[in-house]
Amino acid sequence: MSMHHDPELDDILQDGELKHVADLLRAGRMSEDPPLDDAFRSALRRQLMNRAWGMGERTVPWWRNAFGPAGLAWAGAAVGVILIAAAVVFTALTSGSTGSLTRDVLVTSPMNDQSAVRLQQPILVNFNQPMDHASTESAVQITPATTVAFSWSANTLSVQPTSGNLAPNTQYQVTIGPGARTASGGKLAGPKTITFVTQPPTPSPSPTPTPVPSPSPRTQLPDQHQLPGIPTGASDIQWSPDSSTVYFVTGKGALDSVPAAGGDVTVLVPDGVTSAAVAPAGNRVAVLSNGKIDILDLKALVVTSEISSTPTPLLVGWSKDGVEWAAADGVYAEGTNLPVKLSSFPTSGSIVAISFAPDGAHLAYSLDQSLQVLDLTTGKSVALGLAGAQLLGWSPDGTGLMYSTAQGVVVSDVGGRTAATLPAGEPSWSSQDEILLGSDTDLWEVRPDGTGLTKLAEGTYHLPMWAPNGVTFIYIRGGAVFGASTPAPPPRPSALDAAASAVNIFMLARKNQDGVKASAYLDENGRKAYSSTSGGLNLVVTGDPSFSRYYLLTQSITGDHPDTAQFVVRIVLSHDKLDVSTYEETLTLVRTQGSQQFLIDQAAAGPLLTLGKGAEVVSVEVSPGTVKITFDSDLKPESVATGVIILDSKGKQVGGNPVYGNRTVTISGLDLKPHATYKLVVLPTVQDVGGTNIAAEYDLTFGGPAEAHGGANGRGEQIPSPNSQASPGATPSPSPSS
Amino acid sequence: MSDPGRDDESDLVERAKRDPRQFGALYDRHFQQIYRFVYSRVREQTAAEDVTSEIFMKALKAMPRYQDTGRPFAAWLYQIAVNAIADRYRTLRPSSPLEEFHDLSIGGPPLEEEAAHRDEIRRIWVLVEALPAQQKTALVLKFQEDMKIEDIAVAMGKTSGAVKLLIHRGVSRLRDEAGTLRPAE
Repeated sequence: MSMHHDPELDDILQDGELKHVADLLRAGRMSEDPPLDDAFRSALRRQLMNRAWGMGERTVPWWRNAFGPAGLAWAGAAVGVILIAAAVVFTALTSGSTGSLTRDVLVTSPMNDQSAVRLQQPILVNFNQPMDHASTESAVQITPATTVAFSWSANTLSVQPTSGNLAPNTQYQVTIGPGARTASGGKLAGPKTITFVTQPPTPSPSPTPTPVPSPSPRTQLPDQHQLPGIPTGASDIQWSPDSSTVYFVTGKGALDSVPAAGGDVTVLVPDGVTSAAVAPAGNRVAVLSNGKIDILDLKALVVTSEISSTPTPLLVGWSKDGVEWAAADGVYAEGTNLPVKLSSFPTSGSIVAISFAPDGAHLAYSLDQSLQVLDLTTGKSVALGLAGAQLLGWSPDGTGLMYSTAQGVVVSDVGGRTAATLPAGEPSWSSQDEILLGSDTDLWEVRPDGTGLTKLAEGTYHLPMWAPNGVTFIYIRGGAVFGASTPAPPPRPSALDAAASAVNIFMLARKNQDGVKASAYLDENGRKAYSSTSGGLNLVVTGDPSFSRYYLLTQSITGDHPDTAQFVVRIVLSHDKLDVSTYEETLTLVRTQGSQQFLIDQAAAGPLLTLGKGAEVVSVEVSPGTVKITFDSDLKPESVATGVIILDSKGKQVGGNPVYGNRTVTISGLDLKPHATYKLVVLPTVQDVGGTNIAAEYDLTFGGPAEAHGGANGRGEQIPSPNSQASPGATPSPSPSS
Repeated sequence: MSDPGRDDESDLVERAKRDPRQFGALYDRHFQQIYRFVYSRVREQTAAEDVTSEIFMKALKAMPRYQDTGRPFAAWLYQIAVNAIADRYRTLRPSSPLEEFHDLSIGGPPLEEEAAHRDEIRRIWVLVEALPAQQKTALVLKFQEDMKIEDIAVAMGKTSGAVKLLIHRGVSRLRDEAGTLRPAE
């Protein structure tokens, strides 16, 4: 046995057995290289260089150290300048035949550190002096693996992916290595890395409501006309369900009606009326007069029944089962023989009943200074907003409401969950799910989720009140009541766009570590999914690496009644600005009744994946016949043919052979069904042009595209009619006071 | 006698001390051996990547304070590595069988002899893992990394004499615990 002799051990291990042990130890040395991922090696180098550049920029000039403390720094600097100048002169005098001075090579790029770089452009690298093209081009390294072409314009190098565009949702790192030379043979001080992130393939919906002024706000709306019979001081103004008639209680206590198109006033009850409510069917009206309730048949104009109750009724409304009323101690409804108490008010505090919801299932009341909503089924009350909040109206189906705060108009469900905060104004919620906001100076229209804010008209529009048809409305100007029609509202966002908007706000809040705001987009199930106490997902991601960005990978409508959408969101974690890992969350959103807002109902997270280990899927575009899968890297086309497949819910492969081009794999010949579930599978055989296989099989579950119905956004999604089951507005909004 | 390329390395080190952006050359030069050493200790690729990252990040951060004592720069990296491994894996034992990591394929002797020799090597390295931490580190740096005593002393923060003692005690303990070993030829 021949062994390497180590003289250092001679005086340590003199015994033959010890030497034999030493030989065995040496013989057992690792002879093969351990498994090593080259991507790790290069990623760590990039990370070190990025940090080093940060340190380099903070490096204190040497003369400050030499001449410290700080007070001597300027003197030191002056001496330094003199020394440098002397060195420059010396160098110039002794530089021989070149006769030129070497300048540091500065490398910059307008794209460096940008986070939403357009896809249709080359990567620009600027140098502060002429460069040797061949060595500089050879020194360019780009991740993810991308085949590029070079061109020069003066001292600017354009790096153009040969596939055309940059990959979407991708962090690029372009390093100019130390092999680059200037035209005069100078070297770079060190490698320079330019880092940037590209934008998604199509812009995501705006996450925040943005006022969109109408192209030409009008001073006159269509069909604008005065309703002369409604006097100043009228209250309990309400529409007939067919939008043909307006009912109101005069200041003298008379219940009158007037045709919405204008015409003569009909006196229904001459006096004594303190509260009135038109029945959902529109054929009767409940009139509270002199402490008792009369049910008046509107066709025959005769009282068909009378209800007396103790304590005295104070406010009247309708539920689907009949008339109901609020008294001093609670809410009552008609029973078989006697009134039945539905719910009790709190026994302490000053209580004022304000308004029944249109469906009669809730009552708004004030308890001292607090606005409360009483659920007449459970008997439980919920406080809305801060002390002093005022009810401003209900949604037509009674599941949502609006109240005032210092910030504006809050849209909430009857459970008190805020859906949106609208600009200040006097609101009315239509059956078409549009909210009018009136004021002294103008009239706006906005959706309950705060989107689509549009100025309809300029002028005084006090206390607008939609007709049940969602087209006409009445308002107060100068003490008189007017009627008008609204122009066609702006296109409603598709269900998918509305859900995407909610996801974007939710994810942005998480990225900003605003757990409170993010929680507003979770329903009860969603809150459980993100509950830290029960081992749920992290709502707010803390620590290092940190949550640096996210993007939507897939989105689909997976159900209706209620609208349900599923999103796969990729969360990117970064360390020192470099993307290092990702994981995906699958979010299921359900549209709530009332506010019509999408809330996250279910959430599940996938495994944490380390970046830089082969190509990544960065975009998936689904249409009924085709799925396009875009990768961040250029792929070897031959590795794609059997490496990218789509399976249906039974695991059967669907679609034709993949076609590869421009970093995108296209699978055609599909017949994807709405609401069905499919799985994209990318096998580890897929290789990038650098020869690196993807780290592990990648699976992505997605839903079939919605049916084409000519939706507003061109994606062919059916526009829902959210209030098709809503009962007509039979209970008035708060009475106008002007 | 100084290592070949020592002057060149000193130049790299001095440049990296002045400008951390020059650290890349040192990384390129030493990555493989440090990663290999770490891997031999932790036996798991992801863990080896984590520890290696930590080592080079610490080295970069401490670069401006590095003092050239005349020993190879690698000795300093090993020092960081030894501490990093000790910190992270103080309570953990290697989980993979040793024969995956130590060369047992020695050609030449007849099959029976070769098998017996391999068995001896396997037994010895199993026993190394059971040694006290300091002895184990000293033996690994000496016999696996083929480092000089003085460099091991730098890496372990000890004197050369102390390292010699650790090696002697470690090898003696291996001899005692291995029982019957073939005598040296």
